[in-house]
Amino acid sequence: MDRRLAKELQFHVDRHVEDLVASGLEPAEARRRARLAFGGSAEIEEACRDERSGRWVEDFVRDLRHGLRLLRRSPVFAGAAILSLALGIGANTAIFSLMDLLMLRRLPVREPDRLVQFQKTHPEYGRGSLSYPAFLQFRQDLRSLHGIFAVASMGREIRVGGAEERASLELVSGNYFDVLGVPVSAGRTFHSDADAVPGASPVAVICDGYWKRRYGADHAAIGKTFEINRTVFTIIGVTPPEFFGAYVGRECEIMIPVSMDAEVRGGRSWLDRAEFNWLSVMGRLRPGVSLERAEAEARTIFARSKQENVARARATERSDILRQSIDLIPAGNGFDELRNRFSEPLAVLMGLVALVLLIACANLANLLLAKSASRRQEIALRLAIGAGRGRIVRQMMAEGLLLATIGGALGVLIALNLAGALVTMMSNGDRRIALSPGPDLRVLAFAAGASILGCLLFSLAPALHSTRAGLQRNMAEARTSGRWRLGRTLIVAQVAISLFLLVAAGLFGRTLWNLYSMDAGFQRQGLTSFSVNMRKAGYAGERVRTVESRIVEELSGIPGVESASLVLLLPVSGGGWDGHLVVGGYTHAPGEDNKAHLNLAGPHYFRTMRTPVIAGREFDERDGPGSPRVAVVNETFARYYFKGRSAVGGWLAFEPTPAKRFEIVGVVKDMTYRNLRQTFPRTVYFPSAQSGADGPDWHSFVIRSKGPAPPRAAIAAAVQRVDAKFRVPETRTIEEHIARSMLQERMLAALAAAFGLLALVVAALGIYGVMAFQVARRRREIGVRLALGARPADVTGMVLGDVARLLLPGAAIGLAGALALSGVVTTMMYGIKPTDPLTLAAAAAVLALVAMAAAWLPGRAAARLNPVETLRCE
Amino acid sequence: MPTPKQDLLQGTLDMLILKVAALGPIHGYAIAQRIRQISSGVLQVQQGSLYPALHRLEERGWVKAEWRHTDTGREANFYSLTRAGRKQLAAEAESWSRLSGAIGVIMQTAE
Repeated sequence: MDRRLAKELQFHVDRHVEDLVASGLEPAEARRRARLAFGGSAEIEEACRDERSGRWVEDFVRDLRHGLRLLRRSPVFAGAAILSLALGIGANTAIFSLMDLLMLRRLPVREPDRLVQFQKTHPEYGRGSLSYPAFLQFRQDLRSLHGIFAVASMGREIRVGGAEERASLELVSGNYFDVLGVPVSAGRTFHSDADAVPGASPVAVICDGYWKRRYGADHAAIGKTFEINRTVFTIIGVTPPEFFGAYVGRECEIMIPVSMDAEVRGGRSWLDRAEFNWLSVMGRLRPGVSLERAEAEARTIFARSKQENVARARATERSDILRQSIDLIPAGNGFDELRNRFSEPLAVLMGLVALVLLIACANLANLLLAKSASRRQEIALRLAIGAGRGRIVRQMMAEGLLLATIGGALGVLIALNLAGALVTMMSNGDRRIALSPGPDLRVLAFAAGASILGCLLFSLAPALHSTRAGLQRNMAEARTSGRWRLGRTLIVAQVAISLFLLVAAGLFGRTLWNLYSMDAGFQRQGLTSFSVNMRKAGYAGERVRTVESRIVEELSGIPGVESASLVLLLPVSGGGWDGHLVVGGYTHAPGEDNKAHLNLAGPHYFRTMRTPVIAGREFDERDGPGSPRVAVVNETFARYYFKGRSAVGGWLAFEPTPAKRFEIVGVVKDMTYRNLRQTFPRTVYFPSAQSGADGPDWHSFVIRSKGPAPPRAAIAAAVQRVDAKFRVPETRTIEEHIARSMLQERMLAALAAAFGLLALVVAALGIYGVMAFQVARRRREIGVRLALGARPADVTGMVLGDVARLLLPGAAIGLAGALALSGVVTTMMYGIKPTDPLTLAAAAAVLALVAMAAAWLPGRAAARLNPVETLRCE
Repeated sequence: MPTPKQDLLQGTLDMLILKVAALGPIHGYAIAQRIRQISSGVLQVQQGSLYPALHRLEERGWVKAEWRHTDTGREANFYSLTRAGRKQLAAEAESWSRLSGAIGVIMQTAE
């Protein structure tokens, strides 16, 4: 369109020239006259364009094309800016969608807002579950809720059609479906009557997802059976597709009445054990009853039951019982187990990502600012011939919109992939975590909103800035200090945010490092562990002990295996077992904590774990069922009870049976118990061989290998040489085990490092760009200086000095921010305080180094300027 | 002595252009020439007014533009009247003559 207009006008001029020449003028003179008569073609073109109403679209398209040219001219800068915007938006959207799923998603049941969850808390131990008798009492006595159900979630091996597979089960009370209001899409569900007689309802309801995956949505699945621990269960129904259970983020597969717990557990039932807390309990408020009233009533009932428990319990347990409290919290979005685990790190991540987005916006603003500076002559001219300020601002905003659109589109792409990757990281192989952060409309709206907001932010400001005030301002060289001020502020902001992110990366990284390298009391590398289900193969009681030692024998025979043993609780197992002890030669003061953590270990366990035996000996083959009862304690235990003396030779016993004494035969170095972060508790080990018929029917086997871990097949073969019925479903190295337990730390460290790096790169590019522009702007001044005798080094120094002057306030602000917010992350640290000076200093040093490097290139270019040239061509 | 140029009101210019273009496809330079010739030099249309006016008329659908070759072989944008344009021309011509008639009457009787 433009071209044709120009052509049309050109034609006019040509004809005029022709006519003038025809009337006798010299061609040169004719051309001059014609030109004069014609006037300013640019003006005329503007006026013509003004007349066209398709103008808006044309203008917009033209602006976009112009914007594309702009981007192609400086690909590196544009690429970095778009990429950082895309990552900022993408990461924000991904994390937002995850948080939305975890926090805000409602259960797809009837009136989810009337559901409440029972939360039992102990001031020290945190939240806990309830026992079945406690649940029954609430169900019976609590009037404010007209339906209370209990759920326990677990993974189990089930046998379907002759093959073993793993499934996630939920043991639920009979009224589960009725209280929630979940209809059935095929078959039927079970009801309250299923609770009446334990063991009498071997039925199961399966979830839609599982039905589709496992049975191909075949209606004949109803009526099919599967086995758990040799009990046959019949599938009686399927729940609708939108129902995923009561836990957000988990997808249940099979729901079984809780009265079948003995069969599922493969052992004694826990239904009558008031000391076993394993159930999550939820209820529905009666219409018209408020949460507060229900909670008050629940507390009254709980206080009563506490008194009853206290009367039955030991003295030392009484305070624990009394300190428990119960709350009712809204449970419209499911049990909040997953939320507890991940909401904190996700919130921290969201904060970090928001900062990265800010930096990206700042960078884009700088980019446009620099570009507008180099176009000020064009802008000035256009302002002079009457183009509206609004028109120019609109054009610059169109360019910004272009960048935002590309960045936003890329960002949504990233968001979709990143969300999936984050979920995989969070679940870390735990199949039961099933969040499907699909393209939610709200999320897309958020991304769009973020892009548009970013666009407005970073294009409006520079646009208004460049078109401010008059012609002189723009035409004149020297007076662009205003623009520089804005650019400087942006750089300072970028520096501050980058430093903040670097400090975060440093802190999380060091926490992770500390956890990995801490002395866990055993050697982590080269250990493999697995467990075997004895009961399934038909072993129980004493026979388990015999076959266990034979398995250890076979394992020791595998080539490459240095030693093998077994243990009840692996370090970092997350599980625990404790008991109240009496220790020979020590009297506990009343109320003094006489609990110790307990464990069962096989012969040569400590040698296998490479945990040093500090005094005495460890268990070996002579510690069997008939031999004297022995025990091994850890350092902390020995120090506590025996102070300076040797613990070897002392004795201990369980409080209820003080006559049954165990002789302490050895002291070993402290080993981590439940997880890496916990300080070493007092621990006592007993020989697994002496645990007798009441002992557990499973242990974890550990293998210390000299080289790489033995393949699963070799281990399975060794085990099956003892009995072909044994199955070894999976083996895992201890390192993997530990890595799994440190999921949160790993995630935070990795992401913080990534963001820190991103921020660094973006800030460096920003500094480079702005300094390059500065140097270009001040060419004449630099030329003069060089001509007057300044050394090139001085010029470089001048540029570096400019940057240094920006670094200081930026670093100060960043450090202040890091210190101010250090309290937020204190609980997530390990072995390092959030205000650790070494980390802060290192982060600042890295930032300074990178910033100086980014400034050095333009500085060097400035020093290389030829003064003659610069002075001439101005 | 340069002839005092008459400034044309925008609406009047539109009407003149329509009239000139009614006779057949004609390009911008020729329109300006024609107007000057017929008015014996009194009305000299400036390019700054002519081309925006042409585009305005095209925008309103009263003329249509076509790139054609002149007899000298060059390419130029030729404007011709559309049917709507003809109707518009008739309407404007009529209101012009009523207007100029009324003004004429007043000028003669005033004093």
